[in-house]
Amino acid sequence: MIALLRSEWAKTIRRPRTYVALGFVMLIPAIVALALWANPPDPGDGDRFFYTATQTGLLFPAAMLRIMSRLVLVVVLALFAGDAIAGEASTGNLRYMLLRPLGRGRLLAAKLIIAAVLAVGASVLLTATATVAGGLAFGFQPIEFEIFFVDQSVGNLIGHIGMATAYVAWTLATVVAFGFMISTMTDSPAAAAGAAVGLGVTSQILNEIESLGSIRDYLPTRYLDAWEGLFWSNRIPDDMYSGLVLPIPWVLGFVAVAWWWFRRKDVLA
Amino acid sequence: MPETDTRPPGDPVIEARALSKRFSAAVLAVDDLSFVVERGQVCGMLGPNGAGKTTTLRMLVGLVRPTGGDASLLGDRVRAGLPSLARVGTLIEGAAFVPQLRGLTNLRLWWESGGAHWEDAAVDDALAVAGLGDAVHRKVKTYSHGMKQRLGIARALLGRPEALVLDEPTTGLDPQEIREVRRLLSRLAEQGATILLSSHLLSEVEQTCTHLVVMDRGRLVAAGPTADLMGNADASVYLEVDDRDAAERVLASIAGVGQVQREVGGLTVDVHGLTRPELVAALVHGGVGVQTITARRRLEDAFLGLVGEEHAR
Repeated sequence: MIALLRSEWAKTIRRPRTYVALGFVMLIPAIVALALWANPPDPGDGDRFFYTATQTGLLFPAAMLRIMSRLVLVVVLALFAGDAIAGEASTGNLRYMLLRPLGRGRLLAAKLIIAAVLAVGASVLLTATATVAGGLAFGFQPIEFEIFFVDQSVGNLIGHIGMATAYVAWTLATVVAFGFMISTMTDSPAAAAGAAVGLGVTSQILNEIESLGSIRDYLPTRYLDAWEGLFWSNRIPDDMYSGLVLPIPWVLGFVAVAWWWFRRKDVLA
Repeated sequence: MPETDTRPPGDPVIEARALSKRFSAAVLAVDDLSFVVERGQVCGMLGPNGAGKTTTLRMLVGLVRPTGGDASLLGDRVRAGLPSLARVGTLIEGAAFVPQLRGLTNLRLWWESGGAHWEDAAVDDALAVAGLGDAVHRKVKTYSHGMKQRLGIARALLGRPEALVLDEPTTGLDPQEIREVRRLLSRLAEQGATILLSSHLLSEVEQTCTHLVVMDRGRLVAAGPTADLMGNADASVYLEVDDRDAAERVLASIAGVGQVQREVGGLTVDVHGLTRPELVAALVHGGVGVQTITARRRLEDAFLGLVGEEHAR
């Protein structure tokens, strides 16, 4: 398994699409930080969001995480997940991988681990870049949210950024698992990635429809933004606990179907 | 009748037992196919495109699940991830690699993914066979089709395999490369490897293979030693005559003439123990002018799909 993971990782990391996608999640925060640094927002314009985000470089990553977790991160993670099996099938290399004396379950597990590592990696790179770029542009200082009577020390802010990053990555695990499942069923990585993006976007649209009532509580992205409370309450919001539990059945379900499907799949590509 | 193979039965290396694959209600790709490739044989799987050759090979190495029957490889029943796969070299429907990686890196990562050590691979031998020179250090996406095919053959040889399953290994190669592959296969066979290769070129398997499995529309048409299948003991001939009706009447009265069949421009006649000059003499004696007479071997008929058409009629 270790040998398989090592060779899979070596293959993945040398693919242009891997580092282009990772470069993308790093580039966007850097560009936004530069833009805001060159043109500081004025609170009087009603631009409270970006004004607050630039009060300290340690709040800037939270702002970037909120903006990018809606779509950019969904797309990047969907890309990694969709590429897992379908990427090999599209080049025809999948059949040769399966001609090594290793069970399909092991190959699937290795591919899932790689996709998960890339997903976490992309999320961490996003906030890490945003922290560095934000700090350079707006300084590393604590902040006081006057309306909420909350002081955020530098240590608190850094801890919350880390928790928020891990939380967002875990919330999007449903998208990753869905893309991974479709990836075992098609020979087109784009189709699998597209399906995963579709799930993420559809879930967000449905979440906007308040008349859906409690159905919304089962939408994969229902609690995507719940981490924001960390920054103005200094304690873990209740929605975050719900958000931590929600992906479990989704992920288990999608991965189980992927496993069932892939073990029986006729590899024709 | 073909002579029976008098050699002692060998150790079955590749075996299909009533193998069937139905992809959908309408598509029965392989139908009740049974054959055995014994140790040391070079067996050619021959058939027109769509005969089910590739599907059969995929079932033999566990890529496709049979809907009926089963297969065994080196004595083990085939399933996905079978340990015996390490002792089998395979090329299925063209070589495929990770295009962004160098040729040699592809081989190495593929080899190591199964948990094997690169030092144990027959790298030098395999690369000598591929004959790619410094190109193995180039990315595979820069390779020509022939180069990929050769790298694919090298990959199949990395594990010094006891058996080789090769699906149209010479597709896309130039005549020089085809000759080299043919020599390579002979050399491997001399060293004791068992080889099953598919082809739609009769000329190719005729020269290379000791045994043949002929398929058409998913079914087994013929199997046995090449010499028997290619022999003229039970041949048919193709005739072009001036008057087909008269010829049919005359043929019906000649001893040793079997089935007579009309084709575009002529007749196909099954003959048993009758030489071609005798047949022509008999026809001429009966007042029929013979313009052309050529041998048509059963295998060629099978290969061209004519056998299947006969069944359908």
